[in-house]
Amino acid sequence: MAEALIFDAVRTPRGRGKDSGGLYTVHPVKLLAQTLDTLAARTELDTTQVDDVVVGCVVQINEQGSCVARTAVLMSDYDIDVAGVTVNRFCGSGLQAINQAACMVGSGFHEMVVAGGVESMSRVPMGSDGGAMFDPFMQWKHGGVPQGISADLMATLNDFSRDDVDGFAARSQENAANAIEEGYFKGSIFPVVDQNGLTLLDHDEHPRPGTTKEKLGKLKASFAVMGEQYGLDAITRKRYPQVERINHVHHAGNSSGIVDGAAALLIGTPEKGKALGLTPRARVKAMALSGSDPLLMLDGPISATRKVLAKAGMSIGDIDIFEVNEAFAAVPLLFMKTFGVDRDVVNIDGGAIALGHPLGATGAMLLNTAIDVLEREDKNTALVTLCIGGGMGIATIIERV
Amino acid sequence: MSNKNFINVEVEDGVATLTMAMEGRANKINQDFIEGLEAAVDAVADREDVTGIILATAHKDFCVGADIEMLYRARDAQQIVDGCARLNAAYRKLETCGKPVVAALTGSALGGGYELALSCGYRIALNSGRVMVGLPEVSLGVLPGAGGTQRLPRLVGVQTALEYLVQGKIERAPKAVKSGLVNALADSPEELKAKALAWIAANPDYKQPWDRSKKMKWPAPDPTTNAGRMVFIATCAMLYKKTAGAFPAPEAIVEVVREGSQITFDRALEMESRAFAKLATSDTAKDIIRTFWYHRTAAEKVEGLPVAEDAGFKKVGVLGAGMMGAGLAFVCASRGYEVVLKDTSAEALEKAQAHCGKQVARKRHLSADKQQAITDRITYTLALEPLRGCDIIIEAVPEVMGIKHAVLKETEPLLAEGGVWASNTSALPITDLAEPSLRPEKFIGLHYFSPVEQMQLVEIIVGEKTDEETLARCVKFSRDIGKLPIVVNDGYGFYTSRVFSSYLMEGLQLVCEGHDPVLVEWAARVAGMVVSPLKVFDEVSLALGRKAFESSAKYQDEAARQLEGTELVRKMVDDHGRLGKAHGAGFYEYEGKRRIWPQLSAVASGGRVPEETGVEYIGRRLILAQIAQVANCIEEGIIRQHRDAEVGAIFGIGFAPSSGGPLAWIDRQGVANVVAELDVLAEKFGFRFVPAPVLRKMAENGERFFEAV
Repeated sequence: MAEALIFDAVRTPRGRGKDSGGLYTVHPVKLLAQTLDTLAARTELDTTQVDDVVVGCVVQINEQGSCVARTAVLMSDYDIDVAGVTVNRFCGSGLQAINQAACMVGSGFHEMVVAGGVESMSRVPMGSDGGAMFDPFMQWKHGGVPQGISADLMATLNDFSRDDVDGFAARSQENAANAIEEGYFKGSIFPVVDQNGLTLLDHDEHPRPGTTKEKLGKLKASFAVMGEQYGLDAITRKRYPQVERINHVHHAGNSSGIVDGAAALLIGTPEKGKALGLTPRARVKAMALSGSDPLLMLDGPISATRKVLAKAGMSIGDIDIFEVNEAFAAVPLLFMKTFGVDRDVVNIDGGAIALGHPLGATGAMLLNTAIDVLEREDKNTALVTLCIGGGMGIATIIERV
Repeated sequence: MSNKNFINVEVEDGVATLTMAMEGRANKINQDFIEGLEAAVDAVADREDVTGIILATAHKDFCVGADIEMLYRARDAQQIVDGCARLNAAYRKLETCGKPVVAALTGSALGGGYELALSCGYRIALNSGRVMVGLPEVSLGVLPGAGGTQRLPRLVGVQTALEYLVQGKIERAPKAVKSGLVNALADSPEELKAKALAWIAANPDYKQPWDRSKKMKWPAPDPTTNAGRMVFIATCAMLYKKTAGAFPAPEAIVEVVREGSQITFDRALEMESRAFAKLATSDTAKDIIRTFWYHRTAAEKVEGLPVAEDAGFKKVGVLGAGMMGAGLAFVCASRGYEVVLKDTSAEALEKAQAHCGKQVARKRHLSADKQQAITDRITYTLALEPLRGCDIIIEAVPEVMGIKHAVLKETEPLLAEGGVWASNTSALPITDLAEPSLRPEKFIGLHYFSPVEQMQLVEIIVGEKTDEETLARCVKFSRDIGKLPIVVNDGYGFYTSRVFSSYLMEGLQLVCEGHDPVLVEWAARVAGMVVSPLKVFDEVSLALGRKAFESSAKYQDEAARQLEGTELVRKMVDDHGRLGKAHGAGFYEYEGKRRIWPQLSAVASGGRVPEETGVEYIGRRLILAQIAQVANCIEEGIIRQHRDAEVGAIFGIGFAPSSGGPLAWIDRQGVANVVAELDVLAEKFGFRFVPAPVLRKMAENGERFFEAV
């Protein structure tokens, strides 16, 4: 098997996922195209040498429908020869794209692949694409609740109090504020411009520096009404009959932000990299996928991490830093509790609670961030993992080169 | 007149009236029905002189559905699918014949009959409480198989439709027009005809909404949108909360309404019939139909029971103005009886009066005069004299032998000549209660269930000396007041209380063994039981339970008693002062949201860990504890006919409705398997599980309780 090297990574800033957001006026196709072009420019890439562009995108309908990857390639400056494919593994799509690209080059069948993700949550809202995940037949077989209720269930099962989740969220904001202040993102975030070259957005819009646990404590739990008054909590008894009542603790302040964004990474074989004069920054060492209970939905990182460590022949202690997607505060809290991992090595530069979670792109952004942190901290190994709808987990281990 | 030509066709002034007049007293859906309907439509569809059709009935009812016997025995899914296809084709033929069609509902349209009415373009009903419409198929464990799950949502929207379909709700005509189940009301058949003719004239080219264009415009919320999808998620949640997955039929309904809404109408009909076939051929549906149709009908007809032609009761005395007494007074008064309600407390009488007043007011379909008449029939009294001349006295005083004997002695002499004395006791042996009676042959047990306005069951208990005439009169009386009677022989707890308390006590026992109380409560629901044991115990009150243990003590031998459970109740009441829901604390805490008392497990089990646990294990224990007692009741001759065991369990104590009843449950498991399982449990957990000899014998002989279907 050939090596799968990561040569570079870029991402857009994350705009608010509303019609007031900085990227709202940017068509997702153009957002992705600009990202692809930025990556190519930075690496002085001869795009005729790119075998494929693999793009994660979740709500593949309307403006993001009909293979947004290829459409974006056609709207970019990439050679017309470059193919594109759009992948959907829900919140894990961005990392899925990276893993898929790594497999393509690692197998030796392909040599250079651009992998990333795009999601314009302001232009194409969550749920626009339908799907049967919560349809009656699924309800009767598995039971399915909105993610927020799954998150609250997870908090209840693990005794994470409102204080715990708010504390985690406040720290996420702190870490992000620090990273932004120190300019840690400058090397990876590029300003999104309009057709005149004028900057539309050059910074992440979602963070709220100065957020404290006390301030967060004042917010109402978002999923209590839905769970209690509309009876959705009852569905969880299908698999968790021992939970008499769910403690509703999550809200917008301790859950991932709804934002727009795109990211792209350049992945290829050592030979191709050499031929194109590229310097590798990291290698993909191992990857894993796992399935977990779709009702609880959010504990995939646990099983995926166990699997990827086993595949890599590593133990948790061998990992220097972690990126555990902050879909809801309970997710990284469970991760840290399960693996005994310190808060100081998890989401060091902040996470989706502060920065936002552009569904199809986040996985790629987390990997981008992991590479930056490894380089900055002069560390060696990072593990990136995300929880995924329908109860899946995805994890990737990378090593600095 | 052959059955196939059962529809009379008359054309007058261009309107064809098709009158369904099947042989017998009802228009029943069967093969003849299908062919007759198609023939009638053929006769008028192509006539140019016909501008519209009125579909009417010559019978009391419009059409109240299909042949249940066919449904009960059907096990071939393909046959059912084909049968539904034929029926659907006939209805579609009418629906798309090119003429506007009015359904003249001068009588009830239920199930397939209402589906026929839905295939018409317009439904006009007589403005009468007697005319009922609806789709009750879910209560028989199936779903509407002639387009009801696809037409109703398209007409009134998915939200309203799901409410009717999932609950099997039947609506009287006046209310049905509000929800859209019928389009208009008429005060007389003449007015109905006039309205029908007017609608036909105004809608010469009428087409159903699903036949107007390929993309139908749905009533809000449109199920083909994201917002529409949310309705289904909420519906699934509410349904699961209510049924804990124990009922397949309503779940299938939600599924078929959802999926059918995403595809074309005709293919959706096909989808519906496959879902119908799956349910209809299932064991669950067979067991539900046996009890809810056959047993229930037999009970309504009091088959196998002595019944007087005339009960001969005009004046009813009720002793004790608590919830039960007040309810009984109201029920009897609303059925035309003169009622005297006696208590020793003026406050209690006042409360009872208020209760009856409320109940009268709820009968909104009655005129003010009729409502007043009911109220006027009830006399509330602290004195004894008004009871003189009562034809029957029903005592509903506290469950204490001494008190019951006292009121008996006090009031029996006031009974009319040949009058009947009935005790509403839930457990005390009638024979013992009758001990001081002057006429024990006229003494009987009439055990009603709370709330008596809603609970249909009455458990009639025959004492040692009760004569046949008294029984026969009470059987008639129970039907006269709209109750479903079972008749049992005497014994502490009779049938229903004995079985029900075995359920409650097993719940306590499990908690004492260390099973998570939260799990016990949920497991009961998953097993199909209507109410969870600890919740019910709280509602009945632990104090009452404690008293019941005391009075039962003399009737049960040491080994039969659940020592751990009774000890737990004693602890809860005496040591922790937790008397139940009415007192604000019991097995549950009631401050804020109700939840299991966090200390319950520790108090009950002292931290014991059971060998085996889980929702399935616990559910099985809860059911088998009852099964053992049901078998004992048969063994001891308390149950006189098997039907009563089912009717009593289902309509009196909420035994898993989807099982059809305890005997049907045993049949499904196989008698030999049940005996084997009980033997294992008896070995591990004691005497209460020992299978009665009658079960063992049946197992040996390969017998079952009911005919296998």
